[in-house]
Amino acid sequence: MENFYEIDKLCPKIELKSVLKTMDCYEDSPVYEEVVEEYEDHYEEAMRLCDPVGVIGFGEIPAELANKKYPEGTKVIYAVMSVGNGLKEASTRAFQEGDYVCGMLYDAMADSALFSLDGRLVEKLREACSEHQVGIKRRLEAPHDISMKVQKVAWEYLNLKERFGIRISEGLMYDPVKTSCQVFVLTEDPEIFKAQHDCRNCPNLTCKMRNIPETEVTVLKDGKRNAFLLKDQESVMEGLIRNGYKFSAFCGGNGLCGKCKIRVTEGKTAISPEDRKIFSEEELRDGWRLSCKLFPKRDLTITFDLNDESDFEILTDHREEGDQDWTEGKTAAEGAGAGSDGAENIGAERAGEYAEDSDISYDIAVDIGTTTIAMQLLKGTTGKAVHTVTTINHQRAYGADVISRMQASMGGKKEALRQSIQTDLTEGIKRLLEESGVEAGKVRRVAIGGNTTMGHLLMGYDCDTLGVYPFTPVNIDFIEGSFQEILGNDLLDASTVLLPGISTYVGGDIVSGLLSLGFDSREQVCLLVDLGTNGEMALGNRDKIMVTSTAAGPAFEGGNISCGMGSVAGAICSVKIEDGTVSVKTIRDQAPVGLCGTGVVETVAELVKEEIVEDSGLLDEEYFEDGFPLAKDPEGKEIVFTQQDVREIQLAKAAVRGGVETLLVRYGISYDDVHKVYLAGGFGYKLDTEKAIAIGMFPEEFQGKIEAIGNSSLAGAVEYLTEQDSRERIGKILSVSTEINLSADKDFNEFYMDSMFFEKG
Amino acid sequence: MAAAIIEEISDYLQKGRAKNVKKLVEEALEQGINPKEILNEGLLAGMMIVGEKFKNNEVFVPEVLVAARAMTAGITILEPKLIEVGNEPVGKAVVGTVKGDLHDIGKNLVVMMMKGAGLEIIDLGVDVDADTFINKAEEVGADVIGMSALLTTTMPNMQTVVDALKERGLRDKYIVMVGGAPVNQTFADQIGADYYTADATSAAETAKAAILERKAK
Repeated sequence: MENFYEIDKLCPKIELKSVLKTMDCYEDSPVYEEVVEEYEDHYEEAMRLCDPVGVIGFGEIPAELANKKYPEGTKVIYAVMSVGNGLKEASTRAFQEGDYVCGMLYDAMADSALFSLDGRLVEKLREACSEHQVGIKRRLEAPHDISMKVQKVAWEYLNLKERFGIRISEGLMYDPVKTSCQVFVLTEDPEIFKAQHDCRNCPNLTCKMRNIPETEVTVLKDGKRNAFLLKDQESVMEGLIRNGYKFSAFCGGNGLCGKCKIRVTEGKTAISPEDRKIFSEEELRDGWRLSCKLFPKRDLTITFDLNDESDFEILTDHREEGDQDWTEGKTAAEGAGAGSDGAENIGAERAGEYAEDSDISYDIAVDIGTTTIAMQLLKGTTGKAVHTVTTINHQRAYGADVISRMQASMGGKKEALRQSIQTDLTEGIKRLLEESGVEAGKVRRVAIGGNTTMGHLLMGYDCDTLGVYPFTPVNIDFIEGSFQEILGNDLLDASTVLLPGISTYVGGDIVSGLLSLGFDSREQVCLLVDLGTNGEMALGNRDKIMVTSTAAGPAFEGGNISCGMGSVAGAICSVKIEDGTVSVKTIRDQAPVGLCGTGVVETVAELVKEEIVEDSGLLDEEYFEDGFPLAKDPEGKEIVFTQQDVREIQLAKAAVRGGVETLLVRYGISYDDVHKVYLAGGFGYKLDTEKAIAIGMFPEEFQGKIEAIGNSSLAGAVEYLTEQDSRERIGKILSVSTEINLSADKDFNEFYMDSMFFEKG
Repeated sequence: MAAAIIEEISDYLQKGRAKNVKKLVEEALEQGINPKEILNEGLLAGMMIVGEKFKNNEVFVPEVLVAARAMTAGITILEPKLIEVGNEPVGKAVVGTVKGDLHDIGKNLVVMMMKGAGLEIIDLGVDVDADTFINKAEEVGADVIGMSALLTTTMPNMQTVVDALKERGLRDKYIVMVGGAPVNQTFADQIGADYYTADATSAAETAKAAILERKAK
């Protein structure tokens, strides 16, 4: 048997898309077409200049590379691939001649070509492993998985100088520079083959080449085949909903209710811990899975049983009568009202008490959240909160976040989305009135806070410009009208107002928050952060406010976390790890079933503290495959925290921290100049701020300054209705506010990268 | 009249229109405008604006590359005339990536921006040892020695260059500048470099300012 295999049939590819991405060249660039033209002019020459070579060799880890995980003698394959020096030389020459565009293009083309050789490498590995009757359990890449010294070891072992004329520098770099080196750790089990570079597990989160491939899901139903592409981090259930399949998953996609079950007929998929709880061994073998926990890495075909027809049907309009709610809005109920005085003891002041006073008028404050809606009935001139109602925003059936709602609206669902929110608000108000015994005729005014997308959907505005550069909203001023005009029915005869926003991404909910916190009169600079899927933040005082929003993703709400769930009974909300022993606390002290957002943050903080997760975010080898076990659920299944979960949190917390740092820099102040940090939203309300600092979401200097304020958007709507001069105050807030767009901000990118790891200080 | 065409050169350069820049530089020369003025008020002034926009995130790398290429096109036409009138560059810099390190994109961008700031650049390429840096600087009478390193394993070679300068009693003769992904201000202070800059535009601005300050003394 051979120990060395040179890789033949290498066909490098240069892809326009990846080249442009490497160069930071986007379609909205004024020179986009020029760069593309230039690319086309040089493409053939570049392909000609590619001189690809590659070799793999079976060997062992020598003493100089050995560590705890991979001791001396560990069986490995060394692999080196190169596209030669032609492209790089052309790049250098072009730079010297002052043709900078061409120089940059050749360099990026070389990267693209080198990257494209990976497919053939993996094929060759498969052949060689099958000959040797071994498998591959892990791919290591320097410098994050293994020391840079591996380049020297591989260079000597594979005899690269003689073989390909590859040299190595003092700094351990190969010449040609467009050469890559990997190590594959072998296993005796020939069935295991994990040789592909998996961007999902890669710590280089800001890599320009990072590419999570889309997978195609084909739905077989009534003899028809329909296919759609699943996005990165999207579950099959979310994909189905996005593509118009109607759904009533009671648990909200948390793998608990089993209503979203589908059968995989073609394609291999992993079995999630939730699948094991719901399905028998036989059902699992037949391909039954929970679509909400299904994140396929390859294409697959699914179907659902005829018996389940009632659970799935193509969405034509708003939910029908009798359709059950996703869940009771407990999360919001706990957080709502916390920011406004007098909302406590609601239970004691219930039914009928206020109905007697015939002269008294009432107002209603509303916060439309992307996930939940909260509303509060306020009594007369005192503005005392009489009753609070929360409900789920049923637009959720059209997508979990604002982006998917915008897409649904643009995809012909504009009217359906409008009806959905109008119905939710009307039903909520009916409940508010019934439960407190107040007549509809007594309500004079309604004030609504919410993010810009929610406002647009309620008003039936086009969302076309919200999601694309330069993100222009249709109307974010005060929007006033009759109840009929805005809510589409005559339940109330009340003047209704939508509070204004600052921009598409910093909407009326944040302005409300700023109002409720009195930013318009503060001398000291404070920071308001709303930790949701979009982390909106505002920094400033009465003279100057800077606002921004950052794409934190759903991880803080338990989304995209393998055992994640909403804040419901049984969710792990607090975690302690000491000397290898894990103790957890759950909501309402019920048996653990999953992890909610605060549990996720605490888990990461503890794993980092115990050094089970490295600074880089790499999970200890021992837990790499199956995740770190936190607790067992009532049926004995492990609730685990996986490598991918850690990556999710890294992305989410770096987005928040990067946003904070960028605001501070743009404002021109230091941590110490920030007087207070207010955390809005249900998640922020329960978050242990020390843990949030421990994972680096906020700097240590914020210790003791952070205050959770609950639903500040609702509080702002209340303030608007109860304070006479609030309209002027909002005007003042708007006039001193400027927005910073992070997606085009170089500083943000650097802060974002710097915040990715779990380093102290 | 003169001012109008110079401004046009600057405008076209900012848009990266190499052909227009070339044509206008030729026209300006025909009109008898001083080549120094064309260079400083037209080409370099335009490049400064682009560099500033890049630093403020108003434009991205491709726009700068395209503009810099237009600048090269203009300078190529202008060069013989500049020699005729005896134009002196703001200063001279030798620039390279340190020994053991073969990365060059970052260094190339610095060279590009320094040229845009009116400096004469001797690009030493990659894998440059201490003697080459110093000998070349001595030979051409440079004001600045600029070093780039992209690896933590090659960063220490910046120290080697500074030490060699001290040994030869030349440390104060040169403005030593360092940059590259793993480098920061603390490191620069530690090895005794004069300046660290985080991006190509700042490197060019800093180099120009430091040279002018030194010459003013």
